[in-house]
Amino acid sequence: MATIQTTTTGAIKLAGKRTRHTARMPFLWQVSMMAWRAIRITLRTPAEFLPGVFISVFFLFIYQDTLGNASGFLPGLAGKSYLGFILPLSVISTALSGASLAGQSIVRDIDNGYFDKLSLTPVSRSALVLGPMLAGALLLAFQALIVVVLGVILGLRPETGVGGIFTLLGYALLTGLAFSGFTVGIALLTGSPGATAGSSFLFFPLSFLTATFVPLDLLSGWIQTAATYNPITYILEAMRHLMLEGWDIEIMTRGFLSCLLMAAVTYSFALYGMRVRVRRK
Amino acid sequence: MSNREITAEMLIKRYGDFAAVNEVSFKVSDGEIFGFLGPNGAGKSTIVSILTTLALPTGGRATVGGYDVVTQADDVRQIAGVALQEIGLDPLMKSLEMLTIQGQLFGMSRRQAQDRAMELLHLVKLEKFTDRAVGKYSGGMRRRLDLALALVHEPYVLFLDEPTTGLDPASRRDIWEEVRRLNRDKGVTIFLTTQYLEEADELADRLAIIDAGKIVAEGTPSSLKASLGGESINLTFLDAAAVETAKAQLNGLANKMQVDRNTLRLYLPGAAAAVPTAVAKLQGAGIDLVSLTLTQPTLDDVFLEVTGQRFSADVKTEDTAEEVA
Repeated sequence: MATIQTTTTGAIKLAGKRTRHTARMPFLWQVSMMAWRAIRITLRTPAEFLPGVFISVFFLFIYQDTLGNASGFLPGLAGKSYLGFILPLSVISTALSGASLAGQSIVRDIDNGYFDKLSLTPVSRSALVLGPMLAGALLLAFQALIVVVLGVILGLRPETGVGGIFTLLGYALLTGLAFSGFTVGIALLTGSPGATAGSSFLFFPLSFLTATFVPLDLLSGWIQTAATYNPITYILEAMRHLMLEGWDIEIMTRGFLSCLLMAAVTYSFALYGMRVRVRRK
Repeated sequence: MSNREITAEMLIKRYGDFAAVNEVSFKVSDGEIFGFLGPNGAGKSTIVSILTTLALPTGGRATVGGYDVVTQADDVRQIAGVALQEIGLDPLMKSLEMLTIQGQLFGMSRRQAQDRAMELLHLVKLEKFTDRAVGKYSGGMRRRLDLALALVHEPYVLFLDEPTTGLDPASRRDIWEEVRRLNRDKGVTIFLTTQYLEEADELADRLAIIDAGKIVAEGTPSSLKASLGGESINLTFLDAAAVETAKAQLNGLANKMQVDRNTLRLYLPGAAAAVPTAVAKLQGAGIDLVSLTLTQPTLDDVFLEVTGQRFSADVKTEDTAEEVA
């Protein structure tokens, strides 16, 4: 028995009936909710993210054991820990090999139709993009943490201590965000699991066209040119400096800006993918 | 101004040269259950995706709740609930999680959303399965959850695209029950597509038959059937002699009489109303009746009439039997 009553605002409301929910959730809430959902789903399929952890740990061991003894011959590294030099690379590899997690979660939603359901809600399109990106980045940062803990067990003693380790994880998070944005964009544009899984491999050259195994000034020719314009060079440099030398505002800022630049580019790409995907035909 | 109506005017959807929807117009009134009946590929789902703002029409105009589906898509989404033919569920999530997220995305607090989720899980009788991954649900359970998801934000208008396709008869009944209840208790306007004649007959206040992108007939299920005038009273007797006597007695009552072994068929409009007269005449003449049935034309007959082809999906005869002692 609904009685009509006039509220103080003058709006007519049906008593005993729920008021309509036309309010929107705050944007950051939307993002964190979509991210939280993506993380939970990924954790329910351990087979999707465990190989990534395995690969990173594998790389760390291989680099350390095959190249570790040669570090004494590298100018500038004499007397320093090769582990500290190579661990950031391992962190980057982790971000690369795991970046497709973010894209995969979107492909799955497109495939099972849940994506359509979400796009019929008032959720912001940017939140639908940022949520999985953030989830991917957090998962990658977590994987990086495993790598770092392992590094410490192997004898890594960063110059900047615990603070340095957390800063390194921060870089890992931002790098993960950037790579995830790319796979999310590919996922939205293609809707294909294969293309999405493969997309992160496009970044692999980036991790080699840089100061991968030796410091930048030991590179020569076109590789040095490529490395100079490769943002990963500066992210690696910042992380390595943290591990081997200490705090340096300029180097850290350069690394941070490189991360942000990459993330901004891939986020725009992912948003473009979203626009194409939800465009009504 | 928001209402609970759905209108379509000369709606067209073309894919290249192929017109999936060809100049379709209709109006669904506030609180009505409107059925769209047609075979696979008739254009039903295309119309639903236009009305629910997933696709754009090539031509024409449509409104849902007074909002234009092209220019006011966001408003349409706020008042319309949609359960598509392709169920959009994430198999890794649990029903409670999915409903809660849906509620939050429509602006509820987490608490409100959870309450609403539990309320809906009770409504669709899934409250015992909140903790099971949706991927492990049966077909009927998935449909019911999908329906619950469409109801989270208390829509005024509900679109159901083939809601019972692929379901067993029991689950189908459950869904029908739910649809009727929503319509009756909450006054939700329901737009339903189906390829089951029985479903359209059972649920729809009014229906349109669509074939090859065009509406070929429209009306209430009974008016559509009545338009065929194929109603009959079927009387079965003990032997052929009784049939002949009865035929003589009942002469003039029906438009047409037909003898089929021991059965006499009387074709006449308003057959049910003529039953007492027929029975009284037979009793007056002392003729014993073995059985009496009424036959009404089915929607399948209507479909055959308007499209020139039979429905392949489920051809059923719907005899309403009435035993006379």
